[in-house]
This record gives sequence, structure tokens and C-alpha cells, in this order.
Amino acid sequence: MPTLTIDGIEVTVPDKTNLIEAAKMVGAEIPHYCYHPGLSVAGNCRMCLVEIEKAPKLAIGCFTPCQEGMVVHTSTEKVLQARKDVLEFLLINHPLDCPVCDQAGECWLQIYYMKHGQYESRMMEDKIKKHKKATAIGPTVTLDQERCILCARCVRFCDEISKTSELGIFNRGNHAELDVFPGKELNNKYSGNVVDICPVGALTDRDFRFQCRVWYLDTQDSICPGCSRGCNIQVHYNLDRPHHAEGRRVLRLKPRFNPEVNKYWICDEGRYGYKFIDDESRILMPQVMRNGGMEFVSWDEALKASAEKIKASIPEELGVLASPQLTNEELYLIRKLFVEELGATQVEFRVPPKEEGYSDDYLVKADKNPNTKGAEEIGLAVGSAEEILKAAAEKKLSALVIFVHNLVNSGLDDSLVKAALEGVETLIFIGSNFSDTSEKANVILPSATYAEKSGTFANSEGRVQRIHEAVPPLGESLPEWQILNELARALGLDWDYQGTEHIFAELAKDVPAFANLTYEILGDQGQTLGYVPPAEEEALVEHGELEAVRAT
Amino acid sequence: MWVDIGITVFNVLVAGLFVLSLAGLLTWVERKQSAVMQDRIGANRADLFGWDPKLLRPIRRLGLFHPIADGLKMFLKEDYIPPEANKLLFSLAPFLSLFCGLIAFAVIPFCDKFQVWGKTVSVQVASLDIGVLYIFAALSMGIYGVFLAGYTSKNNWAYLGALRASALMLSSEIAIGVSIIGVVMLYGSMEIGDIVRAQQAGPHDLLFGFLPKWGIVMQPLGFLLFLTAGIAATKRIPFDMPEGESEIIGYFVEYSGMKFGMFMMTDFVETIVVAGLTAALFLGGWHIPYFYPAHTGGWITVLQVLVFMLKVCFLCWFMVLVRWTLPRFRYDQAMRLGWMGLFPLAIANIVVTGIMIVMSNG
Amino acid sequence: MQPRVKLGLLQRTYIPEVLIGLIITARHFFVNLRNHTLRLMGSRSVQPGAVTIQYPEERRPLSPRLRSLHRLTKREDGAPRCVACLMCETVCPARCIYIVPKENPDPHIEKMPARFDIDLGRCVFCGFCVEACPEDAIRMDTGILQFSASSRKDMIYTMDQLLAHKPASSQ
Repeated sequence: MPTLTIDGIEVTVPDKTNLIEAAKMVGAEIPHYCYHPGLSVAGNCRMCLVEIEKAPKLAIGCFTPCQEGMVVHTSTEKVLQARKDVLEFLLINHPLDCPVCDQAGECWLQIYYMKHGQYESRMMEDKIKKHKKATAIGPTVTLDQERCILCARCVRFCDEISKTSELGIFNRGNHAELDVFPGKELNNKYSGNVVDICPVGALTDRDFRFQCRVWYLDTQDSICPGCSRGCNIQVHYNLDRPHHAEGRRVLRLKPRFNPEVNKYWICDEGRYGYKFIDDESRILMPQVMRNGGMEFVSWDEALKASAEKIKASIPEELGVLASPQLTNEELYLIRKLFVEELGATQVEFRVPPKEEGYSDDYLVKADKNPNTKGAEEIGLAVGSAEEILKAAAEKKLSALVIFVHNLVNSGLDDSLVKAALEGVETLIFIGSNFSDTSEKANVILPSATYAEKSGTFANSEGRVQRIHEAVPPLGESLPEWQILNELARALGLDWDYQGTEHIFAELAKDVPAFANLTYEILGDQGQTLGYVPPAEEEALVEHGELEAVRAT
Repeated sequence: MWVDIGITVFNVLVAGLFVLSLAGLLTWVERKQSAVMQDRIGANRADLFGWDPKLLRPIRRLGLFHPIADGLKMFLKEDYIPPEANKLLFSLAPFLSLFCGLIAFAVIPFCDKFQVWGKTVSVQVASLDIGVLYIFAALSMGIYGVFLAGYTSKNNWAYLGALRASALMLSSEIAIGVSIIGVVMLYGSMEIGDIVRAQQAGPHDLLFGFLPKWGIVMQPLGFLLFLTAGIAATKRIPFDMPEGESEIIGYFVEYSGMKFGMFMMTDFVETIVVAGLTAALFLGGWHIPYFYPAHTGGWITVLQVLVFMLKVCFLCWFMVLVRWTLPRFRYDQAMRLGWMGLFPLAIANIVVTGIMIVMSNG
Repeated sequence: MQPRVKLGLLQRTYIPEVLIGLIITARHFFVNLRNHTLRLMGSRSVQPGAVTIQYPEERRPLSPRLRSLHRLTKREDGAPRCVACLMCETVCPARCIYIVPKENPDPHIEKMPARFDIDLGRCVFCGFCVEACPEDAIRMDTGILQFSASSRKDMIYTMDQLLAHKPASSQ
């Protein structure tokens, strides 16, 4: 634990901390390109030069570990001049095509030029043209060699994180250029991350290419619903200028740093898994079967129709298929409404997938649902989906409520699903997108996607993390918790939930695993189930009971 | 009997046509006079559907087709009644307004009495002994049209306009009434013809030996008050708070087509009525100064009619001049002027007139 | 702030000031009426009675700096110079520019507009788009001041229309 002085402020840092990280702690920013906290140190951009007292020359901040008694200056005249000179070198061959560059607006060359550059160009020669101008080097990434500043972050990413080593820097000096190895393409499961870490516009996203300028985007923190890992993400959306990207509102997802879950990365499956949010298959209006066809109706009518059907069935005739795609709050309301109030016994949330999902030893999990853990803790695994469907196929159910699931394309036996969906008298489908299952429904209630509602997911490790409403629900769709609230009111119950925080407080009281948790404690990094507040924890440690509490 | 009816019909036609055609012409006068005053040319574009023969070109350049185009536009426009409005009252309002303006002219004489076919007649629709009171009544009734318009439109701006119009009407009508009393006291009659004749005293009866005893000479303060209050009664700038084009648009904001046209017409008709009254009460009506015909009838009568019309036209010109010269009063300023300026001054005028009459008689 | 002028009694009656005003306007009226009449009768030596310009027949010369209807400039091959960078769309205070980019077949230009609409019903003619353009692709030098449409939709000028406009100096 060395103690050093940075810009006159004394700070004690953990061992092996470098100067960039130490400077962050005292609020001093050291500009850098090649350094990335999630990757090994390369030290090739020379942007992070700082002045260390008693050292003969400026030293790079990224590769200089903190030592006891160091005195570091991050903004002396010498340092500022060095930064300016490094920037001038980096920009010698950088093309001035910011107007067409997708990185513009979040480009570190632009940002640092405005902060530390601002010099008059002295370049008389023509800029060197490289081979590849906007070439696709894989299914997700476009490479523009001219814009590359050879920081090699992407090369290190492919070597160290994805361990696929598709990228390399070839040739030397002025001819050095970034490229994929011959015969290879950048197609690993994490390839999208190289776009995020590229400080300039050399690697850009093919999916996002020319869709929107980044300064039109707003951001909202969320959790990737793609698998049970629960990677922290940011939803980037554009509501003000709907003529871009054919009116799609959510335009891209970016990973959000969470050291406990995903660090700086997300997989491509999650990154590009947002398309269903603004898809044409979205259900926009409640629909009710009338005279042999589906009719668009108002929410009041649809809820009234659903409530009538549910009321008409005795508890044993009521089946509910909740979904691990739903938030804890919604699952809790499902339990409260269907199990506790209506006494339904045929309640389940697990539907086996058609085939085992892809998984690896890094981020991707086989369970493609974000909240399986939460649903288990809330206690919705009463029967099994197969039993419920069997009962439906045998016409023992008069009403079946299906949340989100597409049974037709699942691991369940197709003939059983078909018989069940046709056998049940009333099929109420609550989901965001049309599917083969929704087609069989008598009542369709449109729900919001995860980007359109707030709530919490519990990932496979039991970490409860919050999602936030980024864009308003499309069409007339509503978040499931609102639908459940309204449905309960239509059933004559005195429910009045004003927001998910309200529901979560009740959930924390009712479900032991969620005890002590509040939205404030969850924060933006989440908290694990079975959380014990620090003050209480200390008391328990004193009495030697902590392990016992954790075990429950 | 038939002669009486014929004479009455003739008088109605003369008075009615005079007022209406002058009102129509005033729209043109307003446009052109304001333009000339402001170094502009004014409306000169309307033509007969693009037909522009050399013969008619002066008419086009003078903008004389514009009143026709205006009328055509008014008739062809959609006659919109707001769904919330009371249809009957909403439609009645402009008629009431225009009607009250028009009938006020009935008691104003165009010339002296003369003999024709053994009858004593005059170009005057009704020679009422209570002519002055009748005019008060007619002018005061005009407020009903305006108020109904604003009240039944179910529009807040219109309602505001109506409220302002009623307040303005009250303050101006009272000033009009009180300022005329001086004239009535002085000439000792309420019949307007008599008042004009009284101003027309003979050559030996001139004030200070050279001034005809016109109202403007005998009652200068009364004239000033009457003209000011009269302009206020027409609801035109500088007293246009009921309309307030730049702010609330006014009581007729929901009107379109000819109904709106009638309100516009009412403004001009009221201008002419006020001009006619001023001419009759203060400018000696048909009287030509220093000209004392021995008898009436024939060309003398024609001359009198023309002189009277000339005075009315001059006053109309003057009122348009005022309208395009002065900025508008704020609502509270107009109220203060009416109640704290015109009204007390008019009362003072009565007192002074009374003292003068007593002194000159005694 | 200027202190309020204290008015005398005479001024507060309005009468002298109103009279002065009426005299001024009446003088204008009679002088202009005389000038109008004399000129109508053929005299060219008197001043015109009005200072206004009869617009469609008489026109004032346009300033070279005047901001008039937009036009999109072209490359030598006739393609739009615009690279759909959206700078103009971003800077537009009226938000009347709608650009949808697409891939340019020339990889050295990369980007071009698939759609470039200006809603002239919303445009405030501030000229910021011209200032912001890094490619000199949009200019407001057509000299076109009269444009109207009978529907809001028709006020939206498309890329083809904007490309077809010529600079005022070429006419």
C-alpha cells in the first residue's frame, strides 16, 4: 500500500496500481489511448506522459506502478506540451473524415484534441492512404485502417479476453496497419467489444453503421436479458428524431462496467439481441377473440374480458405459465394474484428450451433467461409446464394465462403443445411480441419489453440488479406489473401499485431471499440475495452467526 | 295619404342609401386615406377577374374595386357558427347592431322644411319631438348587438371584448348624452330640425356680430366632448378596446362572412351617424354660413342637402384622420377618460351653459 | 430608466398634442394627395406620393449575402456533395432538416444521403446549415424568395428538388 502525492494530493493506493488509476482516485485525469483497465498494459501511445519528481524524463502513467513517496505532476507545462506533441504525431496521418465517421462525438481523438491539442497544423505532406477504407472484417465490425492510431487495444482484447487472436498489427513504421490475419475474420462471440474499446473510428459497428449520430442518443442503465449472467448494459436510444434508423428507438446496447458480473464486456448475442424491442412483431393493442376473429379493443374491454374468464374458472381449472423473462416485481405480483388471491395450483415458469443454449466459461450462460433465480426464489415453480399442458390438453383447464413464452418453439412436445393450446377454453397471452403461441390466444394483452419498464432481475449468482425504463412502451402496451395491477382491479381486488419500487418493498418483506434489499441498496451495480446490511453483519460476526444466516 | 307614404318612402330611401353607400365608400376611404397619410399607395390590385380594360384602369388603380371584392368575399365566405354558441342570439347579434346604427339616422334632417304639393315636408325620415332622446336610445341599443355577439360566441376573447364594449359604451354614451344637454338647453328643443333652425339665426343675430350661432361656436366644450365620446361610441381606434386587434381580437372573433361584414359595416354606419349628429347639432346642419335664403324648396333645398352631406363627409374624413393618427388607449385609460374626464366636464358644461343662459336672459 | 416626464395640465387634456398630431398627418395627406394628383396628370417633376415599391412589378436588387431558398451542390459527376454527416440537421434550430444516410458506392466518400428533406414550413432561414456544412454541400444562394404550397406536405422539399435549384448568380 504505497502512499504517493499526485498534483499535491496525498493518496494511498493498493499495490501494483499504476499512475493512471491512482490519478483517477484524486480526481486528476491522465489522457490515454492504448491503456485499458480491462487489458494488459502496452504503453505504445505515449499519451499518458506525466512528470515524476527526481525522474530524468517524463514517464508513461500506464506502465509506471505507484511507489512509496512518489511525487507526480499530471498537468505541468512540460506534460501539456508532451501531450500536444503526441497528439500531433497521432493525427499526422489521421484522415479528417469526422463528418462521415460513426465514432464522431465519442472519439477520443476529438475529445483530447479539444482538451489538450488545439495546435495549428504544420503538416505539409499528403496524408498516407492505407489499404482498407471501411471494410467489413467480420459479421459485426468494420475496419478503417486510415483512422487507426495503432494502440492495439483490439489486438490485446482478442488475445486476452476472447482468446481468439484474429487481429494483429502488420508491417512497420509508416506502413504499420491493423488487420485480421490472412484467411481469418473477426467472428468471435465477443467481437463487438473491440468497437467499444477502439478509442477512434477505426473499428466501428456494422449494425450501428450510419444509423444515427451518437449525439442524438440518450442512455439509460439496464441489464441484458439475453441470459442468466445479467450483464450490465446501457441502452442507447433516440426518441427525438424518428426518421433515423427506420423509426427504431433503441439503436444499440453498450456494456456497463460491473466488476462482479461482466467487467467491461458483453457478448455479441446480448449486444445485438435488442432488435425485438422495435420489431414489427410487437403487439400494439389489446385484442380479444370475438365472432371467430381477433378484434382490437380497449384496455378496459380486454381486462374485463380476461377477468370474466378468470373469475369463471375454479382454482383447479386455472393454469398460469409465468416467465423468467419477467422482473421479480412482476413475478411477485403473479404469485400474489394467481396463487394467493385466486388459489391457482397449476403455476409454473420453467419451459425447457428447444435445444441447450450456447454457453462458455466467460460470460455466456446456457440459461437464456435473465431471472430464473428470482422466479425460483419467489416460488413460482409449483408444478411443471408439461403437467399444466397435459391438463389443458385433457380439457381440465378452462383458462390458461401465458406470459411471454412461445411454447410452439420450445423443448416441449409439439403435439402436446398443440393439443393444450387448442384444448383450453380461454387462452390469455400476455407478451410483447407476436408468436405462434399468441396466435392461438383468445385474449392478447400487449406488454412492454425490458427497455420499456423498470424492475429487477436476479442473475444465476443471485445478484439482484435493476433495469430502468429507457423508452416509453410501444403503442398501447403496458409493463406486466401494470397489467397485473389492472387485472387484479378488474377482478375486484383492491390493488393500487404506483410503481415497481412499491412492489419491491413488499416483495422484500414477503420473500426471505429478498429481505433487506431496497432499490437504494441495489444501486447501479446490484446486490446479492441474502444481503445483510453492514451494521447487522458486524453484530452477527461478533456472535459468530454470520455463516448460519448466509446458509439460510 | 299616398303622397305622405310616397314622401316617407322617398326619405327613407335617401337616408338609407346615403348612409349605406357612404359606409361602403368609407371602407375605400379608410384604405386610401390611411395610405396617403402614411406615404403609401394603398389597395390597388383588385380587378374584374383579371379583366383590365384601359377604360377601367383608373378605377382599378384607385382601388375602387376593393369594396366590391370585399363584399363578394364576405358573401362567399363560410358562415360559421361555433358549435357551442347559441345559434339564434349569435345570428341575431350583427343584425341588432347594424339595425340600431341605421335607425339612429332617421331623425337627422338633410334640409329645411319646404312646401310641396301643399304639404310641409323635409328630407328627414321622422321629425320626432324627442329626436335627441331617440338618438340616445338607438345608440344605446347598439350595445346589445355587441354584447350578444361576445356573450353567445362561447369564446373567452369574445366575452372579454363584449365586457369591454359594454363598459366603453356606458362611459361614452353618458358623456354623449350629457354633452348634448348643453345644446338642448341652448336651442330649447329636442327636435333636431328645430335645433338646426335655431343655429341658423338671421344676419342680425350673429355672435359678436360676425359668427353664426352654430353649436361649435356656442358650445365649444360640448362639441369637443361630444366628438370624443362619439368616436368612442364607434368603437374604433383610439377607442378600440372591444376589438383590440393586437390582443383579444374582440367580440366578433368567432364571426365570419357577412355576419362579420355587418359588424364592420356597423362601425362605419356609426361613424356616419356620429358625423351626421355632429353636423346637425354643432355645425349648423344644412346651414350655409352667411347665406340666408328668403324661401325654401327647389334648388335651395337641393343645395341644403348637398351642404349637409358635405359636412357629414368632412366629419367622416376627420374621424378617419383621427383613427389613423392616434394610438389606441389602454382599457383603463379609456375608462378614466370617460368617467373622470368627459363626464365631469360635460356636467360642468351644463352648469356653465345654465348660468350663461340665465345671465343673458336676465 | 428614464424618469417619467411630468405632464402639465394642458398636456394632460391631450388636446394640443392631438391637434399637433392631426396637423402632421393631415399635412402628409394633402401634400401626398397633391403629388399623387399631379403625377397622375402627367407631371414627372414632383415627388412621388408614396415611398413604397410595387412588389411584383418593381423589385429591389438582392444582396449577395441574402439567405434565400436552399440548394444542394453537386460533384462533377452530378452526385450530391452531401456526405450525410448530419451537421446541418444537428445545428438546425427549427429541426426542419431530415437526412437519412446510406452507403456511398465510393469507399473514399463512404456516406451519402438517401433522403434529404427540408421542411420549409418550419425553416427559419437562419443559415446555420450553410455555416455548419463541412462539404459546402448546402447553400442558400438561389435568390428564390417566393415559394408556397397548398399543403404542409408540399412545403417539404426533397433532395431532388434541392439539387435542381440553381444559384442566383447563374441566372
